[in-house]
Amino acid sequence: MKISIDHQKVDVNPGETILEAARKNGIDIPTLCYHEAYGGQGMCRMCMVEVKTGQTTRMVASCTYPIYQEIEVETSTPAIEKIRKNIVTLLYRSSPSSEFMEKLYREYQGGEMRDVQFSPEFSDRCILCRLCVKACEEIGTSAISAIYRGTDKRISTPFDEASAACIGCAACAQVCPTSAIDIFQSDTERIIWNKTFTRVKCGRCGEPFATREQLEYIAARTGIEGYEATLCEDCRKKKIAIQLSQFTD
Amino acid sequence: MQSTIDLDNRMILVCCGTGCLANGSMEVYEALNQGLTSTNVQVQTYTKPTGCNGWCEKGPLVKIMPDDITYIQVTIADVPEIIEKTLQTGEVINRLLYRDPKTKKRIKSHHEIEFYKKQHKIALRNIGEIDPASIQDYIDRDGYKAITKVLAAVTPTQVIDEVIKSGLRGRGGGGFPTGLKWKACAATTALPRYVICNGDEGDPGAFMDRSIMEGDPHTVIEGMIICAYAIGASAGFIYVRDEYSLAVKNLGIAIDNARSCGYLGKDILGSTLSFDIDIVRGGGAFVCGEETALIASIEGNVGEPRDKYVFPTEKGLWGQPTIINNVESWANIPVIINEGAQKFAAIGTEGSKGTKVFSLVGKVINTGLVEVPMGTTLREIIYDIGGGIPGGRKFKAVQTGGPSGGCIPDSMLDLQVDFDTLTEAGSMMGSGGLIVMDDRTCMVEIARYYVNFLAEESCGKCTPCREGLKAMRETLEGICKGQGKLEDIDFLRDIGETMQTASLCALGRTAPNPVLSTLHYFADEYLAHINEARCPAGVCRDLTHFYIEAELCTGCGLCVKQCPVDGISGEKKEPHVIDQEKCIQCGECINHCKFNAVKVR
Amino acid sequence: MSVKARQVDIAKIIEILKNYPEEKRYILAMMQDVQGEFKYLPREGMEIIASRVDVPLSRVYSMATFYKAFSLVPKGRINFKVCDGTACHIKGSNVLIDQIYKHLGIKPGETTADGEFSIETVNCIGACALAPAIVANERVHPKVTSAGIIDIIKSYGGLADAIDN
Repeated sequence: MKISIDHQKVDVNPGETILEAARKNGIDIPTLCYHEAYGGQGMCRMCMVEVKTGQTTRMVASCTYPIYQEIEVETSTPAIEKIRKNIVTLLYRSSPSSEFMEKLYREYQGGEMRDVQFSPEFSDRCILCRLCVKACEEIGTSAISAIYRGTDKRISTPFDEASAACIGCAACAQVCPTSAIDIFQSDTERIIWNKTFTRVKCGRCGEPFATREQLEYIAARTGIEGYEATLCEDCRKKKIAIQLSQFTD
Repeated sequence: MQSTIDLDNRMILVCCGTGCLANGSMEVYEALNQGLTSTNVQVQTYTKPTGCNGWCEKGPLVKIMPDDITYIQVTIADVPEIIEKTLQTGEVINRLLYRDPKTKKRIKSHHEIEFYKKQHKIALRNIGEIDPASIQDYIDRDGYKAITKVLAAVTPTQVIDEVIKSGLRGRGGGGFPTGLKWKACAATTALPRYVICNGDEGDPGAFMDRSIMEGDPHTVIEGMIICAYAIGASAGFIYVRDEYSLAVKNLGIAIDNARSCGYLGKDILGSTLSFDIDIVRGGGAFVCGEETALIASIEGNVGEPRDKYVFPTEKGLWGQPTIINNVESWANIPVIINEGAQKFAAIGTEGSKGTKVFSLVGKVINTGLVEVPMGTTLREIIYDIGGGIPGGRKFKAVQTGGPSGGCIPDSMLDLQVDFDTLTEAGSMMGSGGLIVMDDRTCMVEIARYYVNFLAEESCGKCTPCREGLKAMRETLEGICKGQGKLEDIDFLRDIGETMQTASLCALGRTAPNPVLSTLHYFADEYLAHINEARCPAGVCRDLTHFYIEAELCTGCGLCVKQCPVDGISGEKKEPHVIDQEKCIQCGECINHCKFNAVKVR
Repeated sequence: MSVKARQVDIAKIIEILKNYPEEKRYILAMMQDVQGEFKYLPREGMEIIASRVDVPLSRVYSMATFYKAFSLVPKGRINFKVCDGTACHIKGSNVLIDQIYKHLGIKPGETTADGEFSIETVNCIGACALAPAIVANERVHPKVTSAGIIDIIKSYGGLADAIDN
């Protein structure tokens, strides 16, 4: 079916979200809690857009709004920009040591650095987008989750202790937009979420990459063991490239 | 001495709602039982513990039928006299009767008392008259007549049409036309379907749903069975707030009784309808009153709402078509079916049919539950039924709609209460809480109170609500401490607007209401806090300064007795003085002074 | 401040859980029953529930911290629930909270070091005509004044003098 986004006619499949439809057609809508791998979460509310169905117009979150009828969408109006500006301000108030949020705040202030009254209840850069929780869920360990509620909401492992389920894969730290997850790494160790892991060296190039727990987990889930399991990303890619080249000669 | 007296079905109803229980009504009930056994009295039915009569201020309440006598503030010391005089000879004990403060006359029947006269009970029709543990009591008062009629001779479509015609709108706060909700659900094709009762009454100061679940659980059950028939549901859930242990108990007993009598289970009353109900205890979360959060909670998750672009009527519990209604909405259904939609629709206003149960609390003489036709004015409720403001103090505002609502000032007391008028006034109906406030209430502090409440109860998922409430709380706390700035007012309005448009659920969207409505009607109080570092109501401790006006002080010493820090001194009959060093601004002196001698700077 | 560690009866937890099918939707009820038995929700309770229902511990912990019904810390011998519903609030419940802090040194959610007293605030117990109300171990104390709260604490064996912090 066809809908219009910013006066542009686009093709959509029923059930697709406005955000997906927009991005597919090169229309950008800002997001903070969205990731292609996990879909929309409806948490940050940066993606609010105006939707007109017949005579009614309302504001919806484009990352969770499913399209089932012909609608007209406006992705940026003065009202919408005000919302985005306030959301960024509110998040920056709560994460003063985040360079990412500082930069975003400056952008939404038109390049000027206006005075912000930081909250005495601030976090160390976390904006509670929960992409880390999603990543951990996808990996399958679910070692971290959002705990408590309201203004006390935060991300942690159960009891704020080292979690038996955590394999130290650092997928959470990688996906975090504000680098809010503390990770200490040396050649031999990785410390994340209060847990110390031993890093394993690549069987081919000798570079430290994954944690031992991570490899054990992968082995248990995929059956990949032995030499195969000791190869780092790069070496595995090279190995596959060599294998493939046998077919392309 | 052996004496057998036939009391001809004399019934003694002892109110055992939570309020009266706290005041010792269970002891009264037990003393009555004991006393009656020992005098060897033969009775058909003697004592009955009932649910809340609504007039908690005057409890424990004891009603004697068929004499139609209502005794108030009964203690165990009164029991022997009640047995000896009233039960054995029918003599009325005057000192236990309510004395109308205006006419000074003692009133025998509760029907004649101002608190009850203007009430019209539909949802509360049985409470205080029946033992909630007895299904027979419910049946004796037209109970289960509606479902019997429906299963025998009415089609599901006809049931839905009747509910639509009645004009019933959701009593939980949303005010959505109940019949239309049922119609939308019945039009879906997916099976199975579910019926849910939202008993997660979270508004502080509201206890209507608690009273219904405790005092007349069958009316909720019957309402749900009727809906299950109308929309084709096979299972129901009553989600009860964790704190309501008596409601959970009484609902459990009622469901068991309903099953035994064939009103729940397979092939109800010989029809093809199979439906049963489970109780789910809430975990203590105000946000679970929001329907998608409630659904998430039943499913075994944290109570976080989701965007409602597809309604629960289409995809609700476990992704299936679901009807969720509030306790009071369910309580109205059997009556609508029994007496007809037209009769129900004849009560109330154009846009809001029927009655509404309000919990009238705070600075009002007759605190308790009242049920009145929609369209009754706030003045009638607060003054005629409520008896006005105690202590000779001045009315300041009435807060309606709980944390999602707003404050309505004196100038709007003649507002006819219904869904739309309250929304137009910047508040909302909500679940029916009416918190009356007097001149000793600071409206800025009230805004702070509600924001603080919501900051803790918010699920914390979406930015505008979580961070917006955090920012509002900090700002309001600052104002109450004397650190406010004029820019704070614009900031509150600006953030408030974002919360109203961008929040994920109704909790966030309505969270700014108490702030915005107090800013609208009581801007002068905010300005006094900000510009003068002064709290006119004498509540915000850092901005409050109590002193005694020497000319008005009679030296009676009452304040000295009340002061918890021994901070007031003076000779008998001489003007007293407050020691500002010791004063903790608790306000007990000003609350108790009969001569209005304690002043706020 | 730490409270004396108590030995948790694992067998009792397992017995309680047997009342429910091993499904996600009963997690809340399981936790409520365990808390009902132990007067708080012990860590072992959460771990066993997570294992029985086969959900990540982080999920059970999220629920235990989200819902206010659960206390992860043992309550005192006497648990004060100060109602902070609107009716009680406007009649001075926060003054009572301050008085309890002044005399027992504990804030809402805390327990005294000797395990004797704990305090929490609750949102409306539905006894609004008796505002301000405090519930001490299921017993409702109506219309409590700032002087009266001191007597109540004493009546339960509490310290009479203010504690210096």
